This record gives sequence, C-alpha cells and structure tokens, in this order.
Amino acid sequence: MIDFTDEQKMAQRMLRTWAEKELVPLVPAMERGDVLPYDAMRHLIRSFGIDEMARATFAKATPGGDTNAGGERGFFGGDPALSAIVAIELSRVCPGFALAFGASLGLAGGAILAKGTAAQKKRFALPILTGEKIGAWAMTEPGAGSDAFRSMRTIARRSGDGYILNGQKTFITNAPFADVLVIYAKLAEPGQSENERPIHAFIVEKGAPGLSLSKPMEKMGMHSSPTGEIFLSDVCVAKSALLGETETLPARDRAREVFHGERTGMVPMCFGVIDRCLELSVAYAKERQTWGKQIGEYQLVQEKLARMYMHRENVRNLLFKQLEKAHKKVTISAAEASASKLYCARVATECALEAVQIFGGNGYMREFTVEMMARDAKLFQIGGGTDEIQITAIARQLLSE
Amino acid sequence: MKILVTAKRVPDPEQKVKFKGNTLDQSGVNWQLNQFDEYAVESALRLTENASSGNARNGEVIVVSLGPKDVQQQLRSTLAMGADRAILVDASDENLDSEIVARTVQKLVEQERPDLVLLGKLAADSEANDVGQRLAGYLGWPQATFACSIEVTDGGKALLVGREVDAGVETKKVTLPAVVTVDLRIVAPQAVKNGVTAATHAYADGPRYASLKGIMAAKKKTIADSSLAALGVAATVRAKVASVDAPPARKAGVKVASVEELVQKLHNEAKVI
Repeated sequence: MIDFTDEQKMAQRMLRTWAEKELVPLVPAMERGDVLPYDAMRHLIRSFGIDEMARATFAKATPGGDTNAGGERGFFGGDPALSAIVAIELSRVCPGFALAFGASLGLAGGAILAKGTAAQKKRFALPILTGEKIGAWAMTEPGAGSDAFRSMRTIARRSGDGYILNGQKTFITNAPFADVLVIYAKLAEPGQSENERPIHAFIVEKGAPGLSLSKPMEKMGMHSSPTGEIFLSDVCVAKSALLGETETLPARDRAREVFHGERTGMVPMCFGVIDRCLELSVAYAKERQTWGKQIGEYQLVQEKLARMYMHRENVRNLLFKQLEKAHKKVTISAAEASASKLYCARVATECALEAVQIFGGNGYMREFTVEMMARDAKLFQIGGGTDEIQITAIARQLLSE
Repeated sequence: MKILVTAKRVPDPEQKVKFKGNTLDQSGVNWQLNQFDEYAVESALRLTENASSGNARNGEVIVVSLGPKDVQQQLRSTLAMGADRAILVDASDENLDSEIVARTVQKLVEQERPDLVLLGKLAADSEANDVGQRLAGYLGWPQATFACSIEVTDGGKALLVGREVDAGVETKKVTLPAVVTVDLRIVAPQAVKNGVTAATHAYADGPRYASLKGIMAAKKKTIADSSLAALGVAATVRAKVASVDAPPARKAGVKVASVEELVQKLHNEAKVI
C-alpha cells in the first residue's frame, strides 16, 4: 500500500479533529505535570468506540475456548494501519501522550493479547483496552538496558504452585500510575548458570504486597508520559500470573517479538513528529519576515525545509512498506526493523531540531511546540534500543548471512 | 421516527479565501461538512436512538446532499457517525440557488415520507438561511427555525422546539410532520429529548466523533445517486450572485506627535469627539 484507504483517511480526519479539539488545550498542563494523560486517554477510547470494539470482540470469544478469539483483533480491530494512524495523530500534537497511550494499550495490552491465556486476556487486557485500567510493560532495569536479557537481575523463584518475584525495573512508562504491570523476570532453577535461566513475563497488579511504584521521574522530554521505577520485594504471585501460564515457551523469544513491535511502532510516531514540524516550519517560513522578505525566500531556510520534506517522504515510505508487510503477514527481519527505527529516529530528531532553528528565538520558547518536539524526538534514538544497538543488530545480521 | 437531514459541503472556514476576479477561486479548497448540518445529523441521531441502552436505534436517519460526486466523502462521514443511508443529488454548486435546493428536498420528502426534516440553520459559506423556510412553505408543513432544544411530545406526534430569542428561550410546539432548522446549542448535552432515552442522560458536548466501528460500518451503507432531472426539478437558477469581493484592505495609521494633535484629529478628521 502507498496510501491509507478512504475509511482509514476518515479515521485519520476524526482523530486529527479530536486531537486538536480535546488534546491541544491540555498539552501545556500535561507537559508541566499538572494533569495526567489518563483522563484524556479514556476520552479518546470512548469517543472512538475502542472500548466498545474490544468488548464486542471479547463477547464473541467463548470462555475457555479459542484463545485467539479476542486476541490481537481486540486492538483497533487488528488493523495495523489504524494503530499507526492513532500513533501519527497523537504524536503530531503530543508525543508524550502518544507514548503513554501506546505503552498501555500497545505494549502491556498487546503483550497480554499476544501471549496470554483466554482468562488473562479477559481479566487484564480487556480493562486496559477499555481504558478502565492503565498498563505498564517492564523490561529495563538499572543495570540492564540495551543488554536487557543478559543483565536482567529480576528473579522469579518457585514457591508452591506460584512464584516469588524480586528485583527492580526502571524507566517504565506509566509505572507510577499503572494498575496492571507486565514484568519480565528470570526463572531461577537450581543448578543453572545465570545465562541459562529462562525469561518469563508475569502479570502483577497494583497493590500486590511487596510491590512499590516510584513517583514520576524527571526527564528531558516526553513530559506528558509519566515514567517510573518498580520495586519488587518478595512479591508472591499465583501460577495464573505467569503470562501464557506455561513455562515451556521461554519468554526470551516472545520479548524479542515485543522489541520488534516496539521498533516498528516508533516509525509512525517519528512520522507524526516530522509531519508536524514540517507543517509548522513551512507556515512560519511564510509568515516571519526579515529585511522585508519572508524567511522562506532565503535558500538556507529552503534547504532545511527541503531536507525535512525528503525525510518525511522516506519515513512515510518505510511506514507503508511496514504496513504492507503486516497486512500480508510477511515478517520483517530484525535488521529491517532496526534499520527502519534507526533512520526514522535520527531524522525525527534532526527535523525537530531544524524546526527549532527555523523558528529561531521563538523556537526555543515552549509556546511554539517545536521545542517540545525536539526534546521528545530524542527519546526515539534511545528507547526501544539505542541507535548504537540498532546498528549492531543490522551488522550482526549482515555479517551472519 | 424517520428523519431526513440535509448536508452541504462548505470550504474550511479556517482556510484563507482566494479570489478570481469577482468570484471565489475554489481550487485547493478543503471541503468539509457545514457545521450546522453536522449538528442536524447529531440531533437526528439523538432523536432516533436509546442512549440509555447502548444507543439502540429506533428510527431511521437519511442524509441528503446536492453537489458533485466528491460530496460522497462528507456523506460517508455522516454515515460513520451513525446515519442509516444517504442520497446524493448530482449538481454543481454554481448552478444551484436556495429555491432549487428547497424544491429538490421537497421532492425527496415526497419520495421518502419522513416524519421530520432537520436542517442546519444556514450554510457557513453563503449564509443564505432560507432553504428550511422555503421547504416548509412548499410542503405546507409547520416549521421551527434556529432550534436550541427539541423534545418529543404528545406520544411522538409533536415536538417542543426551544429557540433562543432576545428575551430568553421561546418554545414552539410543532405537529409532525414538520421542518426544523438547528442552531449550535442543539448539541448541548441535554438539548434533545426523545422520550425513549432517559431524560437525565447527558451526551458529550458537541457532535459525536465517528467511532472506528462506525467508520467500518459506513463502508457498507448505501449512498443512492439521484439528479435534478430524475426528480423533475427545474434547474433554472433565479438568484444570481452579482459579485464577491474581498473586504477593502485596512489603511495604514498615522503617528501623532502630541495629545493636542490627537484630540484635534479625532475632532476634525475622525469626527468622533
């Protein structure tokens, strides 16, 4: 596909209207941390019937029957283009809000929908999709970022039928206010070396004894998205908390899939940032005059606009290639996902910084939006695997072929 | 209740107007649904659903428009909001006037036999504000214009229509079938009461967003094509636009050196003191 269908374009128009009418007025307060993003998230979910859609899909699934019913289809009716449109439109206005929304419904909700049992989907994923509960997805630890699997210290020990969790997670989106947390931990078996320990995901609910959640951390950008730490101190969970309720499939591969999703999921966010920065920059280049000429008439400004346009077109092409592959159920290789994320993240930061430059003094002021975009875009080069890790992943695949 | 709603596409009011001589240059215009028509669609949906019971439908909403093929986009968005079907009468905007539009809707009313015709009080581009009134005259039906509230009464045989007038809110009772044109406050949370939805129900302020499910469902709804000829409406334009001109550009001001000079200029030149 090289463009959205008529229906998808209609959804895009509706989302843009919603974002301009409902979200734009909230952005300054959300960015200051005075207002949390969750009420607006619920408003979005209700306005577009995302809750109704999820409930209808779950109602069709027979209890204890087909575990795939109420599966991925619960999320925007299983249309990856719709998820991309939501990410684009939210990121155009407030990337932090898009992140909080995506971490709850996409990462936490998505992980449970993809790998949970029918009972887990109904109990944990459905309330996340309806906005009743907020989800967080926790992999990163203080000593385990890009090397998340190898250095993971969070441990699950068998206890009777269930498990006891100990450890610490950090930089977790939504953690301070999450109701449902998907937490990755290594299962400690006697006589195994640390590297052999299989990684599993556990669903932990807010209020579990031994679980504590930090206050929001102070960040460079993405201020509308609360980020926090998770501390697990002898948190006892039942077997039913083990995602998928089986130890036979180690979660290492499943988590890789989510990483994959995290990488491809950033492409529409980058597109949203670039699209908005270009739109704002073109308008400003036509409006702002120096020495009696619109600044857009100067070639130094034109060069910036042309480069931003070129990057936007490239990101758009990568996005549609990714959507076409998802539509045809063709897998994207690790190198492809990494290369795409690496390019999009770098040019999103470049475009946002160039937008600040075009806006000059105004660009440095919070009021003109591009300042927020520049700080927010930087996260794309760090979260979901740093640029450097993406480069390593690409090289690894190239050299092993 | 069966309701016919009119919908017109208008240029995005936020977009800068371009001129071509004494006419508007409509190339590159972003078309959108006239906001008052969107309010009419919202009101029609509120009248034909039970919002206390999962928005179960208990009526039919048919949206009609006159215009080129592209108007399908705006009609499709009303179907996505929840309208049941649409009719598009092929016409070009330059060859229409209020009389032709009202006569066309009259023919469609005679075909569809609705209980109520809902219209926006005016179109945001021409602001003619006379299709609703003409239509009621041609049909010989009662009319209530600029509605800020609608309440179904007499067991569904009549409507109480609130209108904001200088002295307050005037309430008119119209027997169905009738023609009602709506003003912006008709989309307030409790402006429409249909006797089925609980009277205490409060809608979100404003017209609804098309849900993702609604957008998918709209794909399968029908937009029937029609034409002035098929409906037997004479296409002679009688109200002609003489010219459309941009407001004159504001002249530059002058700087005054002293308060005395200011007072003197206000008195002698501006003649305001």
